[in-house]
Amino acid sequence: MFRSLRENVPETVQVSVNGHPVQVPARQTVWSALALSGQTVTRKSALSGEDRSAYCTMGVCFECLVEIDGEPNQQACLREVAPGMVIVSQNITEFTMADRDGL
Amino acid sequence: MAFDCVIVGAGPAGMSAAVTLAEHGVRSLVLDRGAKAGGQIYRYAASSPLPDPSKLGPDYMSGAALINAFEACGADHVAGADVWHVGDDGRILYSIDGETRQIETREVLVCPGAIERPMPIPGWTLPGVMTAGAAQVMLKTDAIVAENAVFAGSGPLLYLVVAQYLRLGVKVAGLVDTTPRRNFLQAASAAPAALRSASLLHKGISLLSEIRRAGIPVYRQSVQLKLLGQTRVSGLSFYSNGLQQIEADTVFLHHGVIPNPNMTRALGLDHVWNEDQLAWHVKTDLYGQSSIPYIAVAGDGGAIVGGDGAHIEGRLAALNILMRLERISPETRDRLSRSPVGELRRLSQFRRFIDRLYRPSDALRLPQDEDTPVCRCEDQSVADLRAGFQLGARDPNALKSRTRCGMGPCQGRQCGPIVSDLLANWRGEHVSDVGYYRMRSPQRLLSLEELSRFKTVSSLQPRAREASR
Repeated sequence: MFRSLRENVPETVQVSVNGHPVQVPARQTVWSALALSGQTVTRKSALSGEDRSAYCTMGVCFECLVEIDGEPNQQACLREVAPGMVIVSQNITEFTMADRDGL
Repeated sequence: MAFDCVIVGAGPAGMSAAVTLAEHGVRSLVLDRGAKAGGQIYRYAASSPLPDPSKLGPDYMSGAALINAFEACGADHVAGADVWHVGDDGRILYSIDGETRQIETREVLVCPGAIERPMPIPGWTLPGVMTAGAAQVMLKTDAIVAENAVFAGSGPLLYLVVAQYLRLGVKVAGLVDTTPRRNFLQAASAAPAALRSASLLHKGISLLSEIRRAGIPVYRQSVQLKLLGQTRVSGLSFYSNGLQQIEADTVFLHHGVIPNPNMTRALGLDHVWNEDQLAWHVKTDLYGQSSIPYIAVAGDGGAIVGGDGAHIEGRLAALNILMRLERISPETRDRLSRSPVGELRRLSQFRRFIDRLYRPSDALRLPQDEDTPVCRCEDQSVADLRAGFQLGARDPNALKSRTRCGMGPCQGRQCGPIVSDLLANWRGEHVSDVGYYRMRSPQRLLSLEELSRFKTVSSLQPRAREASR
């Protein structure tokens, strides 16, 4: 279970994580917002469809890809939260694309 | 107009290079992906969100001085600049705020740093499995910790994070140490030389005794590690004096670091295999100059030298660049290099000792189970890769074409070392004969929209850093 060791947070912002409003310290990473809200699944694996979550948190592994404000494939560990940001776990796999295109 | 020198990466190597260049009147442009200078090791060292950052230790705190010197030196630091192409024509492309910018430079210093060595044990793709480096990043950036986590593997970084957690009062479910017993014998021959760095040795030993005193469960010479859980991790099983099992919702893995290869590979620089470090690195001279003369590499993006070594290498690379820019004479370069070169030699003797002591076991570098994923992005297991190999894909690029391993968004950063090791094993040849993936730009995910919009930056902007901080 993740928790924050911060003692005083001068400024917070409200973001939406998978439809839930979450209050987080300003300028935290998007991944930290996900971790502290307990919604740690970031994406589905492209082929197996299995749940994935952040692994390296330093921009190397690309496991933390989420949708931010409607834009897919954003690295949650490298982006900072902004007021009103809409963060959604990414469900794109090879098969969802095929379904949508009716293939 | 071309810049005199562009530095890619604001870790210890990049920062110390910028400071040295500035001392001799060259204002460099420093492009760094992070929100703040510091790299991974000194991440937020000058602006920690922790109530008492000194608990992370004096090494981390010492980073604040370098960050402050860097920020005061007059170099132009562009934060959030993700460099995705460095050309052999002096052209650099980087992405910032969803827009790509292009610059040209006479000299380039590439400081891409290290990444953690992949540890492909069964279940390593389960949510809740992370790296020890991730534990550090979360702690330093946002003061976030995982309560009751397991730490598994080997190496200084792993023990450092455990000690930091304990000092901060965070519960640790256990340390599962995988350092093989034979490593202690192998390291013994390098110990006399390492003793010249007695303070470094003492630091390592006191870290281990700090963990021992804390009384957390420590399992030695652990083997056959398996992560448990179906849809997310629920614990770790392993053998250490018999079968052991620890429950945990977070497991941090680590068994050393390797140079981040993608940028130096995409540049087509010559690389060599380092048997002590079990990794490829760029071939450079004493000053970090690569096989393309105006491209230099410093820090862990070359061979692994650690934070202190990176600091020194950055300075040496800058002295050589100053000579190439005709700001100092070759004699001045040599004179100013003498003391840092000596210091680097002493550090490298200690590094050799560490490399032997924490040399990762073959069983952890090579996945032992046919179902274990190797390529995390494209879901390719050992069995999938073996099938590709048996169909004739004998080198990493052929295997990539056949199985899609290494074609996902991480561009082989995770599976690259494993694929080369597996192929070496299957071919019965040395990994240096097998080679590595061929890398290409762009080195990040780019939207077509961004690719269609280019902006050329040809001069240094007036100082706007204060406003953006």
